[in-house]
Amino acid sequence: MLKTLRRLVDRHRHAHGQYGWLFRPYTGEELVALAVQSTGGDVRGAEPLAIAAVRLRGDRVLTSESLELRLARPEGVDAETLRRHGLRGIDLDDGVSIDQALARLLDFVGNRPLVGWRLDRDLALLNRQLRARFGFELPNAGIDLVQRYQRHHHHSRLEVAPAFERVAEQLEVPLMGRHSVLGTAVTTALMHLRLDRDAVLARRSG
Amino acid sequence: MVDVDLSHAPFSLLDETGRARVRGGLDLAYFDRDEIILEAGQPGENVFLIHKGEVAELDTTQPGERQRIGHYTGGDLFGAISILNGQSRYRFRAEQESLCYLLPRALFLELCAAYPAFDAFFRQRLADKARLLTEQRAAGGVTMSGFMLARAEDCMRPPRCLAGETTIAEAVRRLHDEAVDSLLVEGEDGPGMVTKTDLLDALVLEGLGQQTPLSSLARGSLITARPDQYLFEVLVLMTRHRIERVVIVEDEAPVGVVELTDVLSYFSSRSHVVSLQVEQAGDLEQLAVASRRTAELAGALMAQGVKLRFAMGLLAALNGRIIHKAWGFSMPERRQRDSCLMVMGSEGRGEQMLKTDQDNGLILDDGLDWPDCMERMAEFTETLVRLGYPRCPGNIMVSNPDWVGTERQWKARIARWVEARDGDSLMKLAIMLDAHAVAGNPALLERVRAALFEAASKDELLLSYFARPVLRFSTPLTLFGSLKKPQHGIDIKKGGIFPIVHGVRVMALERGILATGTLERLDALAADGRLEERFAEDLGEALSLFTELRLEQQLARLAGDGEDDGGEPDRVVVQSLSSLERDLLREALHIVKDFKQRLSHRYHLEYA
Repeated sequence: MLKTLRRLVDRHRHAHGQYGWLFRPYTGEELVALAVQSTGGDVRGAEPLAIAAVRLRGDRVLTSESLELRLARPEGVDAETLRRHGLRGIDLDDGVSIDQALARLLDFVGNRPLVGWRLDRDLALLNRQLRARFGFELPNAGIDLVQRYQRHHHHSRLEVAPAFERVAEQLEVPLMGRHSVLGTAVTTALMHLRLDRDAVLARRSG
Repeated sequence: MVDVDLSHAPFSLLDETGRARVRGGLDLAYFDRDEIILEAGQPGENVFLIHKGEVAELDTTQPGERQRIGHYTGGDLFGAISILNGQSRYRFRAEQESLCYLLPRALFLELCAAYPAFDAFFRQRLADKARLLTEQRAAGGVTMSGFMLARAEDCMRPPRCLAGETTIAEAVRRLHDEAVDSLLVEGEDGPGMVTKTDLLDALVLEGLGQQTPLSSLARGSLITARPDQYLFEVLVLMTRHRIERVVIVEDEAPVGVVELTDVLSYFSSRSHVVSLQVEQAGDLEQLAVASRRTAELAGALMAQGVKLRFAMGLLAALNGRIIHKAWGFSMPERRQRDSCLMVMGSEGRGEQMLKTDQDNGLILDDGLDWPDCMERMAEFTETLVRLGYPRCPGNIMVSNPDWVGTERQWKARIARWVEARDGDSLMKLAIMLDAHAVAGNPALLERVRAALFEAASKDELLLSYFARPVLRFSTPLTLFGSLKKPQHGIDIKKGGIFPIVHGVRVMALERGILATGTLERLDALAADGRLEERFAEDLGEALSLFTELRLEQQLARLAGDGEDDGGEPDRVVVQSLSSLERDLLREALHIVKDFKQRLSHRYHLEYA
């Protein structure tokens, strides 16, 4: 409820600004799969390290139209955290600033619906940064694959969220570019296509 | 993108910038099982690179199972030819759910324009691709023997020609001054050769005077080679003819001499060691020791990247020499003059690398009276078993009276077979067509074969019957995808080797070509105009590829690391090949299919 209100306010404020088009309903056929790597831990305290996005059109994953952003090293991030994500300090040294990154992401995503693995968490991370810098949050429609998978497989939402790798295996989706954020985005996109396909088949046979 | 392996051909033919463009330009797509990825007649919009899954290539103009002409799995690429041709000739259908990378048409064409080697890969013929494979193997650790690349001209000495009237005394002085062992002597019928040994023999044994002119002792009819022939072929010539010098001739004039000792300095010893052992063997025991080493030699030659054609030539020559010597040890000399021992089957064609079953027969002079002949032949078959040649399961051996006969009997047999035209007779005709004399008087076999060609080569109906077995086994492209267990592999002998060997044999019979080797027959058929040179070359390459793949498996089994899978030496497990090898295999099988169609048309097999 609060979210909806907030979005209304955002739209009202920005409708005529530079990003006004983000608030218009999307009429195209594309989706964007999103993945964010962060310093981990509590969403409130976590900082994004890398962001990747890849477009989907029909049954294709447009890896040729993808975005991968490494952010400049946020303050207070220690080497240990980086190592856990398979990154080195050097990788972040030539990273882009968070302002640039968000601007490029907004351009890339536009008003297309988003797909993500635990999308809420990724959006929360990004929105915190967006609100601080641009004064609004991403208004895009979103599909969270965890929820979609659980619904599809009739799992109770109360159950522990399944692991990304295990679900990929169950859906027979190859894990692309492990430990790279773009790889995660592409795998997410493929998982989405698989679930779409299963849904079509289920409807056909049902 | 992230996960794509571009280290293999054709992408290895790009540079890093090119590969980065590929990575940046790829999209991904899922295809359902049975989904049609590219329809026949549809314009090609993408090159497909399979990440995971299986795709079948179907010729929709063919009925049922014959539709399936290709099969692609992870790492394979398809659709490029459709782009280059403007549209797809065939239908591509996902056999399993498949995940493919898509390289858009525009980018593919840009890459073709920017990288000629990349472009050539898709426009190449099989022969060139096979070379690419060899080069890749060479780069991957196996050292391409420098010897293999050497040609006769790299290793020849300038010819030392003397006039026919030169005296022995002068010749000895020349030999001494120039520190050589042999001289060429000009004669009326072209040059002859005189060696140090010849001069010694003339002076001491025959008691000729020092002033005798050379023309009286020079030996004519030299064994010659062209300067651009591989040194290896020269070595094969030397082994076959038991000589130590080959004269290099260009435009009928001698331009050099290749000496065995010089060849050996190029070559790492092993093949010569084995052939020396064979030559020096004084009895059957020693011969058996040398004979056992030929398998080891086959492996070494393959590892050195020696072109299969030459390796087969050398080993066939060695096996021929072993059998020849065994015959010499076993038979009285006077019998040897009046009989001809022939080998047949792959041995006759010179197309075996490892020892295969005995396939041999004997032709006797019409006037010969040899009462204990069959007993001696039974012993000889045993001798060959001891030398490592297993008994022939079809009993095509000299110990079988059906494969021993006088010249007249043989000619009568052939007439009978030609008349009968039944399966058994046709098989025997095929066997005789590949017969090659290894010991005794070769003229006997020549006359029998001449009778065979005369009786059969103009008989259209016989040719049609004779060609029919070519269609007996379907080309295993149909088997790629539909095998119950892909581990069972495909039968490379039935599906690839046999149709080529037999088809070429039929054509050789029709055109009266006497050569017995398939590759030599192909050369002759191309020279004859019966086959286009290009097609003949492709058939030869396809045959070499099949033989090589089979040999690799056989060698692996000999080395003991191939598990015993019920004695099926002709199975090639497609899944264990690299994607380039698979690509080559597929293309080679397409050539076989094409060849079968031509044969079927030429010999009217469609009504069979």
